[in-house]
Amino acid sequence: MLIDQKMKMADVVLHDPTLVPVINRFGIHLGFGDQTIEEICKTHGLHVQFFVITLNAFHDKLYFPTEQLQSFKASLLIDYLQKAHRYFLEDKTPEIADLIERTLREDDVNKTTYGLIKKFFNEYREEFAKHIEREDQIIFPYVLKLEKALEAGTAEEQLLHKIQTHPIVEYEAEHEDVEAKIFDLKNIIIRYLPTPNNDALWYQILREIFTLEKELAEHARIEDLILIPKVEAMEKAIKGGN
Amino acid sequence: MGQFRNVVVIEKNYLIQAGLEAIISELPGMVFQKACMGSEKNLAHLLIKQNPDVVIVNPFSLDQPVAVFLNTLNEHISPLIFGLMDKSAPENMKSPFANLLFFSDNKLEIQKKIRNVCEPVSDEQDKKQVLSKREATILKEVVLGLTNQEIADKLFLSVHTVTTHRKNINKKLGIKTVSGLTVYALMNQLVSMDEMENKG
Ligand SMILES: [Fe+2]
Ligand SMILES: [Fe+2]
Repeated sequence: MLIDQKMKMADVVLHDPTLVPVINRFGIHLGFGDQTIEEICKTHGLHVQFFVITLNAFHDKLYFPTEQLQSFKASLLIDYLQKAHRYFLEDKTPEIADLIERTLREDDVNKTTYGLIKKFFNEYREEFAKHIEREDQIIFPYVLKLEKALEAGTAEEQLLHKIQTHPIVEYEAEHEDVEAKIFDLKNIIIRYLPTPNNDALWYQILREIFTLEKELAEHARIEDLILIPKVEAMEKAIKGGN
Repeated sequence: MGQFRNVVVIEKNYLIQAGLEAIISELPGMVFQKACMGSEKNLAHLLIKQNPDVVIVNPFSLDQPVAVFLNTLNEHISPLIFGLMDKSAPENMKSPFANLLFFSDNKLEIQKKIRNVCEPVSDEQDKKQVLSKREATILKEVVLGLTNQEIADKLFLSVHTVTTHRKNINKKLGIKTVSGLTVYALMNQLVSMDEMENKG
């Protein structure tokens, strides 16, 4: 289903409750009453089109925004992505790590194996944190500079040089490694886990991992399908203008 | 039908993409993995990473010559490939493909074509998901950090053979990364903690 701004926020969330964390990231919280998406955006001072594109990208894995990309600023997008980064680093992955830690406390028989899973997950967290750090500290500042240069109508030599030597394209196809590890983790737990004495706990871990995987895929999709094309257009505009 | 098969569709017409997804999802064990428009940068590279079992591609959606695209794919992965096009498409567009789906095919025809090609393999593949002795040896070396070249030298194999074994290991275990394989190997005592700590 395509989400549009005339729809009631409550209906949209009834249809797909996994949108709740996305909506929260925009500072919107449960208890929508009867407000439409448009009305809610107005009260919160949000860019409606950007909000709707984000919801759709999250909701439908085949959704592909074609136009409209130029209608909002890159800084909006980056603000959103950074909030998502914090959610992954500060909420989601520590939650899973805690759950895995609990299995170790509760089960003496399988300690060695669970320890391996814990180690694997911690390695994954580190790698993921590095990926995020690169985006936060190198890529996003670069995008913001591009936007400033476009607004000012002039670009510094250094920036022009960077557009030539390290364009945003290089940043694509970077998400597979992070995704591959999550894939492996699911498989190890589902196929090879020694019989646990707390089924419910492992089910919870598994559910959290699936959720993380879905949220990550959506996050990557927003970066790959919205951010990168937008930045490519900006790079082109600057090169053309100079 | 034993193993699940991941299907990627490359077609810029969204209606056709979505239609194929619906038709494919009705088949047992067929999982619609991804739809591509054909104009993505590094499309072949993207697919190689995804490593799908089946690729359905409309050569007219590609923004590169179909031969170049297929060659790049086949160098790295070996999915079953279907060409997707109009029945009246020129012969040189059809000839690169061993299997063809036409826009005018009805649902049953499409499903039958896909099943005909996919099923025979899956049955025999299904029987043995356990690692062979050789695969277990190679897995151990991988986990200990050896490169394909080093493994090849050590076991007197060609690098190509090692690569093939590694692909089979990944497929059988459902694990792709070296860290994932390490967990598996340690869990199953294919390698010991001591060996891991003493590696390189
Ligand atoms: Fe990110
Ligand atoms: Fe990313």
